[in-house]
Amino acid sequence: MENYSVDEPIYALATAYAPSALAVVRTSGKGSIGMLAGAFSPSGRLVRAANGTLVHGHVLDEDGTTIDEVVLSVYREGHGYTGEEAVEISTHGSLMVLRRLSARLVQLGFRPALRGEFTFRAFMHGRMDLTQAEAVEEIIGSRSVKSQEKAMDRLAGQLREAMGSIRTRLMSILASLEVQLDYAEDEILEDWVFPEEEVDDIISSLRSLVSTYDAGRIHRDGAKVVLAGKANAGKSSLFNLLVKEDRAIVSPVPGTTRDFIETWIDLGGIPVRLYDTAGLRSSDDEVESEGIRRSASLMAQADLVVYLVDPEDDVPLDELDETKTILVYSKSDRRRVEGALSISSLTGEGVGDLVASIVARLSSGTEALQDDTPVIDSRRQRDSLIACIEALENARASRGQSVDIMALFFQRALEEIGLITGEVTNEELLDTLFSQFCLGK
Amino acid sequence: MRDYDIIVIGGGHAGIEAACAAAREGFATLMVTQSLDAIGRLSCNPAIGGLAKGNLVREIDALGGVMGHLIDSSMIQYRILNRRRGPAVQAPRAQADKFTYSRNAKQLLEHTANLSLFMDTVVDLMVEDGRVIGIVTERGWRISARAVVLTTGTFMDGRIFIGEWDAPCGRLGESAALGLGDSLRRMGFPVGRLKTGTPARVRRSSLDFDELEIQKGDDPMLPFSFDYDDVDRPQMDCYVTWTNEETHSIIRENIHRSPLYGGKIVGKGPRYCPSIEDKVVRFPDRDRHQIFVEPEGVECEEMYLNGLSSSLPEDVQHRFIRTLPGLRHCEIMRPAYAVEYDYLDPMDLFPSLESKRLENLFIAGQTNGTSGYEEAAAQGIVAGINAALKLRGESPLVLRRNEAYIGVLIDDLVTKGTKEPYRMFTSRAEYRLCLRHDNADQRLVPLAYEKHSVEEEKLRRLEEKVSRMSDLRATLKAYRERGKNGLELLKEPEVTMDVLGAGCPAILEYPAPVRDEVELDVKYEGYLRRQESEAEAFSRREAMAIPADMDYDAIKGLSSESREKLKLVRPASIGQAQRISGLRVSDIALIMMALKGV
Repeated sequence: MENYSVDEPIYALATAYAPSALAVVRTSGKGSIGMLAGAFSPSGRLVRAANGTLVHGHVLDEDGTTIDEVVLSVYREGHGYTGEEAVEISTHGSLMVLRRLSARLVQLGFRPALRGEFTFRAFMHGRMDLTQAEAVEEIIGSRSVKSQEKAMDRLAGQLREAMGSIRTRLMSILASLEVQLDYAEDEILEDWVFPEEEVDDIISSLRSLVSTYDAGRIHRDGAKVVLAGKANAGKSSLFNLLVKEDRAIVSPVPGTTRDFIETWIDLGGIPVRLYDTAGLRSSDDEVESEGIRRSASLMAQADLVVYLVDPEDDVPLDELDETKTILVYSKSDRRRVEGALSISSLTGEGVGDLVASIVARLSSGTEALQDDTPVIDSRRQRDSLIACIEALENARASRGQSVDIMALFFQRALEEIGLITGEVTNEELLDTLFSQFCLGK
Repeated sequence: MRDYDIIVIGGGHAGIEAACAAAREGFATLMVTQSLDAIGRLSCNPAIGGLAKGNLVREIDALGGVMGHLIDSSMIQYRILNRRRGPAVQAPRAQADKFTYSRNAKQLLEHTANLSLFMDTVVDLMVEDGRVIGIVTERGWRISARAVVLTTGTFMDGRIFIGEWDAPCGRLGESAALGLGDSLRRMGFPVGRLKTGTPARVRRSSLDFDELEIQKGDDPMLPFSFDYDDVDRPQMDCYVTWTNEETHSIIRENIHRSPLYGGKIVGKGPRYCPSIEDKVVRFPDRDRHQIFVEPEGVECEEMYLNGLSSSLPEDVQHRFIRTLPGLRHCEIMRPAYAVEYDYLDPMDLFPSLESKRLENLFIAGQTNGTSGYEEAAAQGIVAGINAALKLRGESPLVLRRNEAYIGVLIDDLVTKGTKEPYRMFTSRAEYRLCLRHDNADQRLVPLAYEKHSVEEEKLRRLEEKVSRMSDLRATLKAYRERGKNGLELLKEPEVTMDVLGAGCPAILEYPAPVRDEVELDVKYEGYLRRQESEAEAFSRREAMAIPADMDYDAIKGLSSESREKLKLVRPASIGQAQRISGLRVSDIALIMMALKGV
């Protein structure tokens, strides 16, 4: 984090670098309003703008030509996301505009923000605690509405509340140990008794929080769904159909190789990264063999594989991982396989059922997730909870030990909870946290 | 030319250690006290040590202090507390013959080279260019010095309360030190009020001993000091009794007559050592409270009622004390009383205990808001050593939290201040497993030698002990039983050094302190190793120094509250800054950024 700074004017694209209707470019730092006014018309309106107001106008290039018609959100120092003087530029999402705007901002003296730097600044100006900062990271990275709702809950402090309650309970256990160490046996006559039920109860609360991690991960990072099957099984048609079903495409990006195509779609509120594995057929051809190898690796990494089979073909059951595969017969308009999931890309028949079944499979194991359940999403939180559980289990296993040793286990458990609520800090934690931030970049 | 190098104001436990340390360091030292007859008084309980406090005493001894010697030559009962609950946090406590203790203290001062004693009351400090250069006394003496250590205890504007009666005293029958508090206020020192109290003393021959439980000490008694192996002192018993419903109802009926509840006392009292009326009011469900009846000396009739401190009027005291079994016919020789006194906000001090406000002025003891003889003495020795080091032009002795309870004590005081009389607890020490009483010499003697506070003899004694410990480890390693060596066997919970001694008599030839220490080291090895590695991480943060002239106004983004706190405490390191209460993670991050020049 050596390279982070505060106050120095920075900018970053806050939305995806992809053709879209609208894009937001964020700036922050001392003097950013005045600096931007040098390339804005009407500049006087911007310079005089009060905090929290919108200014409509044009961003101009060096030669006076218009880069784009924009709306600026103006934040005076002490307000806004970072707590610094800042302007957010809402512009049209054409790549050409974004490129020109970036170049212009650099000319004006803004530098591109480092990964996580906006959040770092917000944090530095005391605008959020670690839990909130992580939740913001998720909103930025979130790909669907449901994911955003979860992140907003975080901001409202639900996780902190759940953690706070566990923390209080652990504190009270620790206090009952400490009193035995701070006062002599002739003053505190009762011996300490291991609080069996309370510890079990806390462990099970912690476990249920840990179990929300996988569900949380799918909502945040999205689920990898791979369409697989032999060539001509109808994968590409299904791919196109699913993409059409979802009107909220973020960015269809061609895969890094020609072997597959991927895109983000939203299925029933779950962000899904959908892969179409092209050319999956046995072959002696070297190039094609490489393609097959990659497809197999994609399938291995997938959260879910949708395996398409032509009704005329056999099902290669031994090649499929049943635990995460949905078997679908294609071309149901030509022939229906009774008792199995069948679709027709031509008529659209069965696609709704398939979507429902994908959503159900991705959500399975997360039924317990009520809307108001606090959810943990970050690996750091999960690791801390697990370490906390470990400390408590060690305590349980060591219950015969003397009080000073028992206290160590509960101190450790509390430290771990503190790591999540941001109440305990150290340099390493900050370093780790900010290197994981992917804000605006 | 100054009259003295170092003047110590006050002859209590902090003053004694400060004066001896300064004189030991070779500086011409003067102790000025209000009463030469009251040096080293145990004003409250007749005991030294206890949990965490016993560790302090042994640390003071390791630093070359005198408290260990004084209690060793005056104890009348000795116990190791919490042996069973926490072998690693157990601590020694001894009942003292308070008259012997005090007499020995005065004699020791009289026999200390470089130390002069003078009876007068200090009313003002002489100041020149922001430095203290001497003192002014009640009888008009102006005595100059290069450094001054202030250890006025509860005497600065002390006021005693017994029910409706009150008087300007530091202890019952001893006048308060008036004037100095005003002078310090005038100079801008942040002065506050605290309260403490002491219970009644009853006459031994008037007790019904058949109604009291006997509490015996350990046999043999062991010394607090590392300088010798044995103590030879008479043993006396303590006694236990309990309050009852009748006691409580008398207290409740008269609670309005307590100055604590009537609002006459504004100073905050210690929550950990409440008066009996506090206990009765705050814990109405408890139907009895335990009271210890402790002898104050061998040839002394006064018995101390530990747990029964009070500020209720004397007639009420007489009634409720006589409801306790064993005390029903007791004669009360001295009443319980509360005392309210001035203290100086310790956040105004550097970790060396030197004042940030007035150079060469060091402040130690109860004046800094602490309670307890051991806490006072611990600060006293550090202040005395540091006054001397300052005059030598050497860097001060600042003990870290992972080095000593003394380090925890002083760091807490100067970093967080205190709102109630501060007492040492094991739970204040993050690395308490490493801060055992028995290894205080290993932790501190070499450092004290470096700081000129102990003789070479002490260092040699330590080296001898360390080499015997390693011999014993070798003996254990060579011994085999059930296919395991002695060190492995000792790790098993039920195996002790004595058990092994049955099969390997060579073990029993080592002195008990060596055996005990090796046993704890071995048994706790795993936990100690973990705590040591945590302590290393801690030390790294302590090593991230913040310059003394850090400009907090120039750091953008600090909240104004945090900024004020930082300017007040002026932390010496990132580690210390992190411990300032109310400071946020983001504040620390900002300071770190500023340090890195971002």
